[in-house]
Amino acid sequence: MSKKLGFVSLLVLLFCLAAAPWLAADAPKLIIGAIYVGSVNDYGYNRSFHDALLTVEKSLPGVKLLEAENVPESAEAERVMEGMIQQGAKLIFATSFGHQEPAFNVAKRHPDVYFEHAGGWMMAPNFGNYFGNTQAAWYPMGVAAGKMTKTNKLGFVIGIPIGFAVGNVNAFELGARSVNPNATTTVVVTGGWSDKAKEAAAANALLDQGCDVLAMHVDSPATVIQTAEARGAMSIGFQSIEARVLAPKGWITGLGFNWAPYFTEIAKSVIAGTFKPSSTHLGLGEGMVVMAPFGPSVPPSVRSIVTEAADRIAKGFNPFTGPITDNTGVVQIKAGESWGGDKMGDFKWYVQGVIGKVQ
Amino acid sequence: MSAPLALGVLAGAVLSGTSLLYATLGETIVERGGIVNLGLEGILLVGASVGFALAASTGSAWLGLVGAALAGGLANLLFGWLVVSRKANQLASGLAMMFFGIGVSALVGGPFVGAVIKGLPKWRPSFLAALPWVKATTLFNYDILIWLAVPVALLVWWALFKTRWGLGLRAVGESPAAAFAAGRDPSVIQYQGLFAGGVLGGLAGAHLSLSLTLTWAEGMTAGRGFIAIALVIFSKWHPLRAIVGALVFGGAEALQLELQARGADVSPFLLDMIPYVLTLLVLLAWGGARRLAAPAGLGRTFYGSD
Repeated sequence: MSKKLGFVSLLVLLFCLAAAPWLAADAPKLIIGAIYVGSVNDYGYNRSFHDALLTVEKSLPGVKLLEAENVPESAEAERVMEGMIQQGAKLIFATSFGHQEPAFNVAKRHPDVYFEHAGGWMMAPNFGNYFGNTQAAWYPMGVAAGKMTKTNKLGFVIGIPIGFAVGNVNAFELGARSVNPNATTTVVVTGGWSDKAKEAAAANALLDQGCDVLAMHVDSPATVIQTAEARGAMSIGFQSIEARVLAPKGWITGLGFNWAPYFTEIAKSVIAGTFKPSSTHLGLGEGMVVMAPFGPSVPPSVRSIVTEAADRIAKGFNPFTGPITDNTGVVQIKAGESWGGDKMGDFKWYVQGVIGKVQ
Repeated sequence: MSAPLALGVLAGAVLSGTSLLYATLGETIVERGGIVNLGLEGILLVGASVGFALAASTGSAWLGLVGAALAGGLANLLFGWLVVSRKANQLASGLAMMFFGIGVSALVGGPFVGAVIKGLPKWRPSFLAALPWVKATTLFNYDILIWLAVPVALLVWWALFKTRWGLGLRAVGESPAAAFAAGRDPSVIQYQGLFAGGVLGGLAGAHLSLSLTLTWAEGMTAGRGFIAIALVIFSKWHPLRAIVGALVFGGAEALQLELQARGADVSPFLLDMIPYVLTLLVLLAWGGARRLAAPAGLGRTFYGSD
């Protein structure tokens, strides 16, 4: 981790220097600090937060933003956040799952500073959490893939088979089957969230097997999308909808996050002194998860079917409604039952039609 | 159309094995001259980031390739200044170089994360492209670094074993004092070996960023530099055996992903262990070999005759 120390300190120093003149000129109403585990130019996870905070900074007068990239998920993160608080930050966005405990520790020391953490569960009077409900949103992605595939073979590259990722795959296959009963989804696990060479190899292995649509759940979708594009296959993006520029031909659609409305509400509540910690999980319906524009190769008939499926999800349709059988033939969700938001991290099995094994 | 398993694994092995082969050849030259460079991982990262940064800013992957080779060579010369001129401990300096490489590559590549580049052009002979098994895979659709990988290995073999320069390098690696007594300057020869090795290391990194993944991400080599150091031992410091080694280890990684893509009923966690289990098996098999062929002066500092 020490590799990042120098770089991070340098960044913080630069941001501090940059912030100093503003502080002197006219005191901002609110200084927001944000820490990212990677670079904000990743066309992925980190970029989604960066874009949202820029929107907040522009739309709310008197808001200033301090950002630090490549902040490790360790005690080093605490120092970065302490530095931001010394610069006057009153609201901190800790955006990586592993930033949860460092942020919580800092929150305990600074009860007058408010914290919002992405993807965790911890809460305190000045500490809330939130995340996008991606799993149901993957259902219309599957509808799109199931309609577009010619080989009926879909491929899904995932970093580590945690429950959230497995649920994304399951909803994807359920969506694909709803429009194409012959569609299968083959899963390849790379063993890490950001091993680019292995992501390329995994994508190639799936394409060798005749998969013609690739989806992915890794930190940055760039490598999988570009590998598919180079070999004339189609892709469905994830994490940031900006990834569509990487596949001018093969892009179908994709999912991204739009945190701006939620972040704006949080920033307003801190300025007004009415911050209430919450655990907020919103999806397609509330606009925290958004669908990317369709690629040029997607015909209007498919677009309307996908949009209709997305509307059903947005209106509350739960794809994880029984009976649902796993890919070994065991009924996992009985008829009449359904899995809600609290079960989203619990998937330890793939639905029928997925080729793969969780563990 | 789906390809048979062996072809799929071979196709994957060539793609992942190429950067391993260049890195292994580079380290082989350096170690033949009696120097262990544990900083190879850092050299790979420098090559990957400099290559990507140049390709992204100039629009030419070829310039990126040249830049990556030079950057790798220069980084190894810096390492040479530490361990040859300043006589610093090789293991400690190598690890320091690794961290240096990680930091420098992050700094160089930082502004280019997310940049879209046109990678190295790929070329597939048309008579091969007509074969159905070939068409369904990446086989023979290769960039220049893959096409030249085996010729470069042959070139390194020739340089090491068939030229006067190679004789001098190996003499320095076995016994710098004897080479010195025979009128060779060990430090000059070691610097030459380090530069050549660094160039190959830089190319190894460039293959990852300019062809295989078309992206730059911090730490994207993910330990391949260390696998290459193990491959030098696996191939007994011989450039031609390194070809086999790189294919076997590239194949192990490919096999793990191919089996999943074929829906093999095996836990992905077990499959993830294949390359490491293979490493253990190789070490066990090689452990009993009487002659390991390591250069006798490997890792020792030559203080000259004064």
